[in-house]
Amino acid sequence: MDRRTFLKSSLGAAALSTTSAFPAPAIAQGAKGTLKFVPQANLANFDPIWGTQYVVRNASALVWDTLYGVNSKLEPQRQMVESEEVSSDGLTWTFKLRPGLKFHDGAPVLARDVVASLARWSVRDPMGQMIKAIEKELTAVDDKTVKWVLSKPFPKMKFALGKNNTPIAFIMPERIAKTDPFKQISEYVGSGPMKFARGEWVPGAKAVFEKFADYQPRAEAADWLAGGKVISIDRLEWVIMPDPATAAAALQSGEVDWWETPIPDLVPVLKRNRKIKVDIADPLGNIGSFRLNHLHPPFDNPKVRKAVQMALNQEDFMRAVVGSDDSLWKLLPSFFTPGTPYYTEAGGDALKGPRNLEGAKKLLAEAGYSGQPVTCIVAQDQAPLKAMGEVTADLLKKLGMTVDYVATDWGTVGQRRASKSPPGQGGWGMFHTWHAGADCATPASYNALRGTGDKAWFGWPNSPETEKQIAAWFEAKNVEEEKAAMARINKAAMDDVVYIPTGFYKGFQAWRSNISGVSGGPLPFFWNVKKA
Amino acid sequence: MTITPPTAFGAMQLAGEPELPDILPPVRERHGIGGFVYRYPAIAIGGLLLTLLVAMAVLAPLLGTVDPAALAPSKRTRPPSVDYWFGSDMLGRDIYSRVIYGARVSLLVGFSVALLASLAGLVVGLVSGFVRWADGIIMRIMDGMMSIPPILLAVALMALTRGSVPNVIAAIAVAEFPRVARLVRGVVLSLREQPYVEAAIASGTRTPLIITRHILPNTIAPLTVQATYICASAMITESILSFIGAGTPPIIPSWGNIMADGRALWQVKPFIVFFPAIFLSVTVLAVNLLGDGLRDAVDPRMAKRL
Amino acid sequence: MLGFILRRIVSTIPVMGFVALFVFSLLYIAPGDPAVVIAGDQATPQDVERIRVSLGLDRPFLERFGEWSWRILHADLGTSMFTGLPVTKMIAQRLEPTLSLMLITLVLSIAIAVPIGVVAAWKAGSWLDRSLMGFAVFGFSVPVFVVGYLLAYVFALELDWLPVQGYTPLGDGLWPWLENLILPAIALGCVYIALIARITRASMLEVLQQDYIRTARAKGLAQRPILFVHALKNAAVPIVTVIGIGVALLIGGAVVTESVFAIPGLGRLTIDAILRRDYPVIQGIVLLFSFVYVLVNLLVDLVYTTLDPRIRY
Repeated sequence: MDRRTFLKSSLGAAALSTTSAFPAPAIAQGAKGTLKFVPQANLANFDPIWGTQYVVRNASALVWDTLYGVNSKLEPQRQMVESEEVSSDGLTWTFKLRPGLKFHDGAPVLARDVVASLARWSVRDPMGQMIKAIEKELTAVDDKTVKWVLSKPFPKMKFALGKNNTPIAFIMPERIAKTDPFKQISEYVGSGPMKFARGEWVPGAKAVFEKFADYQPRAEAADWLAGGKVISIDRLEWVIMPDPATAAAALQSGEVDWWETPIPDLVPVLKRNRKIKVDIADPLGNIGSFRLNHLHPPFDNPKVRKAVQMALNQEDFMRAVVGSDDSLWKLLPSFFTPGTPYYTEAGGDALKGPRNLEGAKKLLAEAGYSGQPVTCIVAQDQAPLKAMGEVTADLLKKLGMTVDYVATDWGTVGQRRASKSPPGQGGWGMFHTWHAGADCATPASYNALRGTGDKAWFGWPNSPETEKQIAAWFEAKNVEEEKAAMARINKAAMDDVVYIPTGFYKGFQAWRSNISGVSGGPLPFFWNVKKA
Repeated sequence: MTITPPTAFGAMQLAGEPELPDILPPVRERHGIGGFVYRYPAIAIGGLLLTLLVAMAVLAPLLGTVDPAALAPSKRTRPPSVDYWFGSDMLGRDIYSRVIYGARVSLLVGFSVALLASLAGLVVGLVSGFVRWADGIIMRIMDGMMSIPPILLAVALMALTRGSVPNVIAAIAVAEFPRVARLVRGVVLSLREQPYVEAAIASGTRTPLIITRHILPNTIAPLTVQATYICASAMITESILSFIGAGTPPIIPSWGNIMADGRALWQVKPFIVFFPAIFLSVTVLAVNLLGDGLRDAVDPRMAKRL
Repeated sequence: MLGFILRRIVSTIPVMGFVALFVFSLLYIAPGDPAVVIAGDQATPQDVERIRVSLGLDRPFLERFGEWSWRILHADLGTSMFTGLPVTKMIAQRLEPTLSLMLITLVLSIAIAVPIGVVAAWKAGSWLDRSLMGFAVFGFSVPVFVVGYLLAYVFALELDWLPVQGYTPLGDGLWPWLENLILPAIALGCVYIALIARITRASMLEVLQQDYIRTARAKGLAQRPILFVHALKNAAVPIVTVIGIGVALLIGGAVVTESVFAIPGLGRLTIDAILRRDYPVIQGIVLLFSFVYVLVNLLVDLVYTTLDPRIRY
């Protein structure tokens, strides 16, 4: 073979193999019944028990159903359960499943599926762990009946099974639920109102859900995770867009229908467009957090923590995070979510009123602060955290503190914050994060508020008084007792500066005006959403 | 006529074009500054622009700037005005001051990367060109590094550490230097075959002397030209690192991170991206012009020997 | 010829081996922990540790590297730590958009740049030459995302001629596919056009001074055939070289272009994977990129032999 023919034939072969590299045409897309949604983040994995990012939960709420579901008043309502019974001593719970429940593979939902699912969930969930600690037995009585026997009453059982905080107690088929809770499941079959089109899943780009025709919605009206989850679209496409400018443009040109987290600065443009509607996404919003390391200098000294608390101006942090729209944020002299029934500002005076920079400096001097660097670990890839980090650097400098600004990504912050070493040796001094308001309405699953020292959440605050009052809340018999306990928790946590809230803020969502039925909530609810 | 096959690995310097023949030989001699400008317009324009930019960076505090890191969240995203010449950014910082001070970081990154990559490339290239047994290994390693796109390599290196100016410089320099090593090795290999170098080797002249006397003088020219291109591409890479979120933190302003900060708002507040983009483009343009001019001036036939 | 190809392939193996080792070591010493990202904000350190163990992240370097290399030899790139999908599948999903983008960019750039270069060489020294080359240097100097945003603003939002973002597979039709790629290809192509135009001009200039061109002109052959047939063919070697070199450049630029235009390609997959520390995915992609790079260079060398019969291997 001479050179030229060889070259030609090899080029031909290359051309052939290139064409075959293009996959077969994608499934034909019905335009009308398809809703295109831009989620807050990439759906990188799909196991709501193993991975607890909000985006995973939000997708999972379509595919898997729950025994109970909270409504917009955070009251747990029956969902898969038809009826339940609690023994008079409060130790035995018996749940009966409603008829007609089916998994996407056609198999009926049985009690043993529920048992396996609850077993896996209770290993990972903070409330689940509390139940597990007092569990005597969890068994399937018959195909439709599950019995949970405890050694101590657990009055918040229905809330635990219906809450929207991660991880949610989703019900999976037994074979899937048997997976080690620390390993990822490999099959995404549920009994929820939509099926996951696994073949079309392109992580980082696209996730597709299809209507599950055999789903039996409840008769009640849908309200958050409670009530009838009626799906009015055939197909839901999640389009992942890492660039907010691109997402805004796509919504304006009608290439997508619904954007979960438009950045506030772009909202005025969206509002000007008559074909776009904008509203608050989650009335429960988020609480920004200035997390301090209680184990090492300088923040091991309560006076230094107090000094920062005294000088911190929530307005600066909130403007940095949400922009110029003042209706989006609130000063928050509390650890709890404003607008929820138990909200309290007791003991929050330190965060109220004009900020006292001079007093803070004096307090620092009293504490004997002598220039130890504060190692701030700041995730540059998370816009709110990056913005808060810059405000903090400015604040600490104004206080005369030395700042060691570690600009990195969230993966590294996540790893480094787990280190208990001194800041100079791979540890840290402070970092920012945020907590979903829905998680902070009560102490029920509020890890970040715990003051259990070495066993507490990152920062390891040791606040015996906070712990004492949290225990009192769990044991409270009525609303008044709960409210009183919450007020004492707030005061104790403020006094010991468990962490410093940087404010309460809400976000927008935006959708095309031919979409109806969009409601606000801690996660996007696709039931009752229609596309004209 | 024998032609050395251009091996693909050997032809990796990005903008090092094979040659640019002297098209229009100067008709009449001119002298003084005017003559220089006439003969080397690219060097003149590029050099002048660059001098101005460097002066701007050095004199930043005197140019009506305020503290580029001072926050004023209540005065954020103000359009350009008398108070804020270039407007204010997402946290109410003065963009004019940030752009002027940002010149320091961007120029520092450009110059340092050019210097570091050239030095490292020079050393590795010389070793590779003179130490026969090491040549194969070194060049395979360089090939390996070059086969990873420089931006990805820099991003991966930034993942090893925190975002700071020295780390950005180091990451980009590591990604760039193998190309220089390639170039230097090529020069060394071709010079070794020159009769006078062969003679020097045969007569037992020690290697360091050969390097300083014969090799280095002939390497400086192509190296300088290459260095200017590296300088330009390093400034662009810095902005891309910031764009991805792996660059310097915004508390130290650089053109890259000012643009990265404002990019989500390009549609509503274009001035945040616009001003640093103009400055970056003009700077890179100046450096590229300088590089082109130097290349033509130093040796129009330079590339032929590579 | 075949011998040459074989030799090149054999000599490539140590290069790829080095790349594999280098990338693996880099990631091993990098801070950041995928287990933490997976576990989420509310997870306890104990939970994170259990996930680490289940991902095999607690095992020593040599053991993990050995196992990974062994699998590579069996054409298995492993599975992603996050999605649980095989890395080969994740790459395959992303290959089409990136290949399409690069192909369109390549075609567009060559179609624009070569004529520019030829004309500039033909009119060397004129104002036309100077402005074309000035434009080319400028193309070098503007960051790709700035060009991208400008194009999207003007042609997609204001004029509404083309879509703002996204990707439609070729299988859905030629125009829908092309429509989504035009703006990104222009943005990405800017640098590339500048590069090719400059090289074309330079090597054309040299060829145009050769005797046979002067002869052809003297014989009164028309300008166009001289330029585009005789001269261009002889100026092609350096042009092909720079096109080959540019592939590495394209891959780098694709990272940014893909995120500006929300194209689900390999560039975005890489950045996501690096930021999340999804080690198997990063390693797989880098290996793929270096393989493509080596392959493109081999192709370039082969093209030389057809362009210039004097070159033999």
